[in-house]
Amino acid sequence: MNIEFIDIVQALIDGILYGSTYALIGLGFTLIFGAMEKLNMAYAASSIGGAYVGLGVSVLLSLPLYAIFLIGPIGGGLLSVLVYICCFRYLPSNNHLAALMASIGGLFFIDEIISHETDGSPLDFPELGIFSEAYFEIEFSDMFLGFRGDLIFVMFASFLAMLMLMYLLYRTRLGLATRAVSQQPIAAQLCGISIHQTNSVTFILAGVLGGIAGCLAAASVGVISPLLVLPLTVKGLVVTVIGGLGSIRGAIIAGLLVGGLESVFLLLRGVNERDIYVFLLLFVFLVFRPNGFFGAEIDRD
Amino acid sequence: MSILKVDNLCKNFGGVQAVNGLNFEINEGEIFGLIGPNGSGKSTTINVICGLYQPSEGSIFLNGKKINGFKPNQCVDMGISRTFQNIRLFGDLTVWQNLWVAWKDDRKNQGSWFSNWFGKSESREKLISELLSFSGLETRANDLASNLSFGEQRRLELARAVASKPKLIFLDEPAAGMNKEEVKELRDRIFRLRDLGITIFLVEHVMDLVMNVSNRITVLNFGKAISEGDPESVQNDKAVQEAYFGQ
Repeated sequence: MNIEFIDIVQALIDGILYGSTYALIGLGFTLIFGAMEKLNMAYAASSIGGAYVGLGVSVLLSLPLYAIFLIGPIGGGLLSVLVYICCFRYLPSNNHLAALMASIGGLFFIDEIISHETDGSPLDFPELGIFSEAYFEIEFSDMFLGFRGDLIFVMFASFLAMLMLMYLLYRTRLGLATRAVSQQPIAAQLCGISIHQTNSVTFILAGVLGGIAGCLAAASVGVISPLLVLPLTVKGLVVTVIGGLGSIRGAIIAGLLVGGLESVFLLLRGVNERDIYVFLLLFVFLVFRPNGFFGAEIDRD
Repeated sequence: MSILKVDNLCKNFGGVQAVNGLNFEINEGEIFGLIGPNGSGKSTTINVICGLYQPSEGSIFLNGKKINGFKPNQCVDMGISRTFQNIRLFGDLTVWQNLWVAWKDDRKNQGSWFSNWFGKSESREKLISELLSFSGLETRANDLASNLSFGEQRRLELARAVASKPKLIFLDEPAAGMNKEEVKELRDRIFRLRDLGITIFLVEHVMDLVMNVSNRITVLNFGKAISEGDPESVQNDKAVQEAYFGQ
């Protein structure tokens, strides 16, 4: 196959648009890591679980299409806070390994429940209605670049979610409190902030983002399957590490970058080799820039 | 009337008795000093009262209510607040946001859960601007706390401790690293807080300050109170001189 420059640009555009779901998942990982300095490995599982909840409730109650995108995030938030209660809340706060292992348990538990309930087979996920049919072309000198309507919707919805998150984190006392806890847990408690309360809120916020990401990812391919869980977990971790653990803008930029490059690798080397290069990218970052784009040196007394 | 009463307070870390049978009572509106050589258990005492550590034995009463085993944030709800020996500001938040985080709605009067976390309120704006002028940080309201100078950070931490509207403030070595002029300003601020009706619990190494502002002083050594009384009698106490200077 003869690949021209325009094809690469086209792949990059598609990838960046789809990468906004990676950015959302990376944001969730990084939010939780920022608040507790712990990785929640069950995060992507609760995100996909949220999408399943949205699908299930909508089908059972025969609600219209858009209801999935409202119920999915709520389901994601609920599952996420359940993960917090089961895997983080009652474990010793200084034992990072225990929480890590517990959340890996949570990951497989949610994964298995989904597999069990759906007999392991993928379900049709409604596509994005008129957005799926829309397609825009832009003429660029004598070449044509196409924009898929559903991917534009995915990008738009992701960025809307990120803007709302930013507003919460930077403009309300609730967001300030969660940031205060992540910077100085002891002082924050002595400002009257309950750590468990703000941690729960952080998990809910992350879970809602994850539910949105799960719904968008499933809608843009038209199916949802338990097989989405592990790749999304891994991609989320890659994005979080490349962006810098705990860095919000890092997660957004890294999500788009990983999405874009992944799509280019797919074009150049095919689906079997794609992830090799994604992990190679992770490896390169771990060797040459272990703190990622914006990861701060940990500095606390 | 006593605002804080500590009864036979003990705190062990493994085999080490950091605080050993401490008794004292603080009256409302007074400035109470706690001094002692390094490692005598002063900071541990504060940490136990603020709920950071659980006491091994003994009881703590705030306004007659037992607060043993309360979490730090519950102690803040009860009207306790504190500053730290090593400054613990929220470095990535602005000066204004540092005060906002610590601000607490008067829940009984007006606050709902929603307004506490999301709302805007006039009383908040008013309190924060008062605190900014109290600490002389009006011009730095929108700077990140981590960009403040050392002296400014200490002032901000004191203001933040006041923002939760406490009845009792613990000051853990507030004058550490300050020059004479700054200590004088700090003393004025402490008096202003007392005049607002806030009881002050002062842990300090700078003797000038403690002896000047305190109504009563307790001296700790090896986790035990070895002397108590007004500044003059404590200064002349043989046991205190021995603890500080040796025999």
